[in-house]
Amino acid sequence: MARLTIDGLTKHFGSVVAVDAIDIEIQDGEFVCILGPSGCGKSTALRMIAGFERPTAGDIRIDGDSITAISPNKRPTAMVFQKYTLWPHMTVYENIAFGLKLHGADKQTVRQAVDEGLALVGLAGYEQRYPAQLSGGQQQRVALARAIVLEPKILLLDEPFSSLDALLRVRLREELKLIQRRLGITTLFVTHDQEEALALSDRIAVMNDGRIEQLADPSTVYARPKSLFVADFIGDMNLFSARTGAEGVRLGQAVLPVPEGISPNREVTVAVRPEELIPVSADTPSEESWEIVVEQTMDLGHYRKLLGELPGVGPVKVYLSKSAQHQAAEQRLRVTPTRYLLYLDGAAPVEVVNRPPVPIR
Amino acid sequence: MWGAFRRNTVRSFAVMLRQRWFGISMLLLLAAFILGPMLNVLIWAFTEARIQPPRLVPEQWSLKWWGETFARLDVAGGFTTSLGISTLVTLIAALICLPASYAFARMEFRGKTPLLLSFLMVNAFPRFGIYITIAVVFFRLGLVGTVPGVVLIQLVNTLLFMIWIPTAAFQGVDRSLEEAALDAGASRLRVFVQITLPMVLPALSASLLLTFVGTFYETQGALLIGIPNVTTLPVVMITLINHHIRQLGAVLSVALWVPSLVLLIFAQRVLRGGTLAAGFGL
Repeated sequence: MARLTIDGLTKHFGSVVAVDAIDIEIQDGEFVCILGPSGCGKSTALRMIAGFERPTAGDIRIDGDSITAISPNKRPTAMVFQKYTLWPHMTVYENIAFGLKLHGADKQTVRQAVDEGLALVGLAGYEQRYPAQLSGGQQQRVALARAIVLEPKILLLDEPFSSLDALLRVRLREELKLIQRRLGITTLFVTHDQEEALALSDRIAVMNDGRIEQLADPSTVYARPKSLFVADFIGDMNLFSARTGAEGVRLGQAVLPVPEGISPNREVTVAVRPEELIPVSADTPSEESWEIVVEQTMDLGHYRKLLGELPGVGPVKVYLSKSAQHQAAEQRLRVTPTRYLLYLDGAAPVEVVNRPPVPIR
Repeated sequence: MWGAFRRNTVRSFAVMLRQRWFGISMLLLLAAFILGPMLNVLIWAFTEARIQPPRLVPEQWSLKWWGETFARLDVAGGFTTSLGISTLVTLIAALICLPASYAFARMEFRGKTPLLLSFLMVNAFPRFGIYITIAVVFFRLGLVGTVPGVVLIQLVNTLLFMIWIPTAAFQGVDRSLEEAALDAGASRLRVFVQITLPMVLPALSASLLLTFVGTFYETQGALLIGIPNVTTLPVVMITLINHHIRQLGAVLSVALWVPSLVLLIFAQRVLRGGTLAAGFGL
């Protein structure tokens, strides 16, 4: 149980900047995900915290004490790796006991801790198995137990479920969240899977090109992505490039109002979530809504995803709830945005809520 | 239609038979080629008196040469010399090559691949040519006819097995397995001893075994550098075949087969699973 401070952490590999001065402060018992595409530097950042990579610059502190100069075997961190890293020549028991014995625990304590660890991950009774006799999911459970029994101050996980199939991934994710809550262990989790990050995290650090683009709780990251990269990376998003005019942003047959203070004739990107394009009745004036030409309808269980064309603008995605009137076979759909974000280059996004398009005068 | 089917069946069966006959005859030929000389030596080892052509088997079977062979002082001496030198060569090779192969597997340095390939080069040329040139140098250094000289020349042979197999084995150990142990609190030495070493042990023991057996039976280098003072068992065998009664040499070579066959089968079993092949994926 501890607080993790990452301060200006930087890693250069030759001329490549893998991690570029990132700052994260993780509170006691908090679950933070570093989310980003592959090659964004998230794994390198985690490996620096575990001690496997030496930072080019910056500092890592646990409860205020710097651990940057400490070798990985002396750090109060424990890591679960992406690959299966159980030692194949040791039984499950020996794998979990390995670190405990190194910490000088007596036989009785080791026995008890291993039992508790295995019970925690739902694998009691598997002590004498060898890793090769376990499935991938079981191996990662044991790896999790192996890390947890050491009672680390910080638990680090590097895409631990990425080699498992989708159903198992979701189940293990839920188990991990429960275990983390029960133990109140400060956790840093690296993933490229946004759904995983949204489901697990107290806060998400979205990383791109070695930098953290946004660090916020999942609902904020989803609702108000701080940059265009985040807007595009997290969830589905309609992005339309346009220019600001005197009355607002002209998109197709309608003009979207913009808050005051935005000068005309500027490049702007309008971002609308597919579920925030809501259907309106077909007799709504065409200036206040958009008529979408539906090209494809996908039934995704509890909702429908429509792929279509916004005439004069470009491709558009709409999520429709099953209760919506629209029939799957219909070719046209009239929608209006309930909320949208405006990204002007370099500036923080401007959020506009409940302002439907207005007719062009 | 039935007729056509039968014709085709018969035809394809005939083709198969023809192919199989070819295979079988090739197999027999190969077996005769490999096993023939061995059979001949085996027969000679149990022969009372010289076999007179055109006879293929002796008039009188006997075990008497076995006693004679092992009672000889040069055989006993050769055995002790071979055992000592092979042990020494294996130990020195292990001391040099095992750390080197760990470095090959785990570190990045300039000229790594050419250096690794250079160990193959020794095997790319006729061995004897290399030995002759080395012998010239050794003669000037006063190493000919000495144990250090024989040990040095035999070390050349061990490089391939003792570098390539362990390198491949070390490469086969996923780095994150070592990192996981380091993460759990183990020192680097402990990681090596408790994680890396146990995982490469089968391959390492196989390469040690191959080195020992290879050195024990190595003849050319030992003959060229060792004479006249240092005579290993295979050299004794050659001398016996050349200068004495043929049965003595035959007995000795049969006696030398058996342990090497057992050891090599064991090594081959351990090395199964493409350990060596992994090394080629540089």
